[in-house]
This record gives sequence, C-alpha cells and structure tokens, in this order.
Amino acid sequence: MADLAPMIRIAFVGKGGAGKSTVAGTFARLLARRGEPVLALDSDPMPGMPYSLGVAVDDHPIPEDVVVAGGEGRPRWVLRPGLDAAAMVDRYAAQCPDGVRYLQFGNLWGPVVRLQQAQFAWSQVVAELDTQQWHLVGDLPGGTRQAMFGWAKYADTVCLVVEPTVKSLHTAARLASLPRAQWGPRSLIVVVNKARDAADADRVAARLGVEPSAVAPHDPAVLRGDRRGAPPLDTAPDGPFAQAVSVLVDRVVSLYSQPKETAQPEESAQSGEAAQREEAAR
Amino acid sequence: MLGFAETGDAVVVADLEAGIGTLTRLEPAAVDVTVVVVEPTLRSIDVGRRAVSVAESQRQGRVVLVANKVDDEQDRARITEAFGARPLVVVPADPAVDAADRFGVSPVDHEPSAPAVAAVEVLADMLADMLGADPPVR
Repeated sequence: MADLAPMIRIAFVGKGGAGKSTVAGTFARLLARRGEPVLALDSDPMPGMPYSLGVAVDDHPIPEDVVVAGGEGRPRWVLRPGLDAAAMVDRYAAQCPDGVRYLQFGNLWGPVVRLQQAQFAWSQVVAELDTQQWHLVGDLPGGTRQAMFGWAKYADTVCLVVEPTVKSLHTAARLASLPRAQWGPRSLIVVVNKARDAADADRVAARLGVEPSAVAPHDPAVLRGDRRGAPPLDTAPDGPFAQAVSVLVDRVVSLYSQPKETAQPEESAQSGEAAQREEAAR
Repeated sequence: MLGFAETGDAVVVADLEAGIGTLTRLEPAAVDVTVVVVEPTLRSIDVGRRAVSVAESQRQGRVVLVANKVDDEQDRARITEAFGARPLVVVPADPAVDAADRFGVSPVDHEPSAPAVAAVEVLADMLADMLGADPPVR
C-alpha cells in the first residue's frame, strides 16, 4: 500500500438517503488506518460526512476573508494572494479520527452569498491540490445536479451508492452516465447499501449493468448510531457495514494498482469549470 | 412560480429538493405552509432546524413539523426537544413504506391501512383545518 501510485481520487454520489456520506466517511477512515494520507472533501452544503468521520462539530466553514474578487476573465472570487491550496488545507481542514483531514465549505445557514465565496475557495483548493500528497475521498450532495455540473471532476473514480429502492436506482441510472462526460471519471464502481438479501444486489447489477464492488447489508447498529450522530466505525466497528466498506477499500486499492485505460470522453453532461462556477453562483 | 401561479381553489403540494437550497431561493411568502420533515437523526434534525429558521425568516407561512420514521418515544422526544412547541405530526417507522419504496409504488396503494399512511392523513386533516379556519392572506 505504501507505494500505491497514483493516489486514489474517488467521489461518492447517489440519491439522498442512500448512505453516501456514511460510506464515504467510513471509507476515508479505513483507508487512513492503512497509514495513508487521506483528505476528505465535502461539497454538500448540508454535510453528512462529519458524522461518519466522527468529527465533534459538523460546521468547519472556510471564512469569507480568504477570497478576493477575481476580476475580469477570472472566477468571481479567488484565493487571496499568498494563500495556496496547501496552506488552506493546513488551516481549514478539520482533524478527524484515524488521521483523516476534512475540508468542507461550511454549512448553509440562511443567505447563500457567504457560502458561494467558500465554494469558490474550496473549488480552487481542490483544483490546485498536490494530488501526489493526498488520497482524495469526496462526498457530493444527494441527486444528480452537482455531479452533472462537474463537482466531482477532481475524482478519477466515481462510486455510486445505491439503495435497493426504485427511486435510488432511478437516480443511479442517470449518474451511471458520468464516465461519458467530457470531464468524467475514468471508472465507475457501485456499492449496494442497506441490502436485505442477495436479490437486492442482483437487482442493482441488472439495472445498472455493473457488478457491485461491495454490498453493505441493512445494519440496525449503523442506523441506531445514525440517530445519535455516531460513526459506524465507533458504534459497530466489526459489524457487517464496516466489513463491507473494508471490502470496498480493498477493491479500490486494487483498482489503483492496475494500469488504467485512457478515457474515451463523450458529451453527456455539462462540461468544464464554467459549468461548475455557474452552479456555485446559483 | 409558487408565489405567482394562479391556482384558484386548487391545493398545490410542492416537494422541494433535499436540504434547504431551494427554500432559500423561494420568493418571500411564496407558500401558505411549510412542512418540515425530519428523521430522528442528529443530522436530519440539524437540517430541519435550518429549514425552520429559513422558512420563518422568509415568512413562508406556518411551519408544521413531521417527525418521520419514528421508532419509539425516545425518537419522538429527540425531535420535540429540538423544535419545541410547534405543530407536530408523528409518522411511525413502517415496514409497509419500506416495501412500497422497494417496489416503487405509493404507500397509499401498497397498504392503505398502514400506520404511516394513517399518520399522513392526520397531517392532511391538520393542514385543512389550519387553512380552512384561518385562510392565509398575502
């Protein structure tokens, strides 16, 4: 694992409630336990990752004074001169259990202007990060919008988290087109979450045309922990959910140990940084 | 659209995107009632508190809480403690709803007599009474 190269860059997407944040935070911690440097990236203005990471406070805002107006031909806001991605991570990424660092915009409370400034700062940090320094584990808001607008383009692997419900499968089927986007990831993997039986995994595989990399069974201990905001690795460290995410970590590590094929981009979703900025400005 | 559409006597039921993004972008006083649905999890309660705050500051009508997927009295208490004395409807955790979700059918069609369906009927009655007795004036 120590000579893993290149570093993992994975983003978790799916319908709201499917368990993206729970899987992503657990994945980040289990990867970090292998002695790897892990930076968790959260682009959800209602973040769930702090709970699965086990961070005491869920709001770690990037302050608005880190940005200045970008001026003509540049993004609306850019990092203040003298601030770079490494400094931003050093100052504003929260310290989490198992050594994971966690960078979010900050929570959305009322007016969105301050959040937009933080979003621009976050996007610039992610774009300018030294990708040889960190494994990146990202969590997007539920649904298709952010993913289709390119918020996961730092990732070369997208992990679709799917519940075996019709609505979750419907969203997943749309998100399965992401690798065909111009900026899209090179690989797409699937995790079935809250599975009740083997038929659930089969149903997901049949609908998406992708064999799941891991199947996390319905785990009452995880749900009970969720009520208290407690991470699965603390409430049920050896439970079936944690075991399934451990399998996922193995699969992803193995994926990165293999030579990758060059992506064959096609247009299927709005592309480029302009799209992401447009979304941030909404 | 919610604020300006001519809907006559029709009741408009809008299901907003998860989170509070859409709520923050609504025109002030665009709706008569905002129903905030929360699960008894820390995260859901946190989002619900933000939604209540936005709805009230933007004058989005009365705020009614729905506590969904409630298993027991502890779940209920977790929600009432977080939100105080507000109109509340409790929808119990209900396997019939889970099953309907898996089949992609409405809970009303899947099991009309399910406890969760009955609770949503209570919500409908509460809203009808609330608005019928004191119609909103914009």
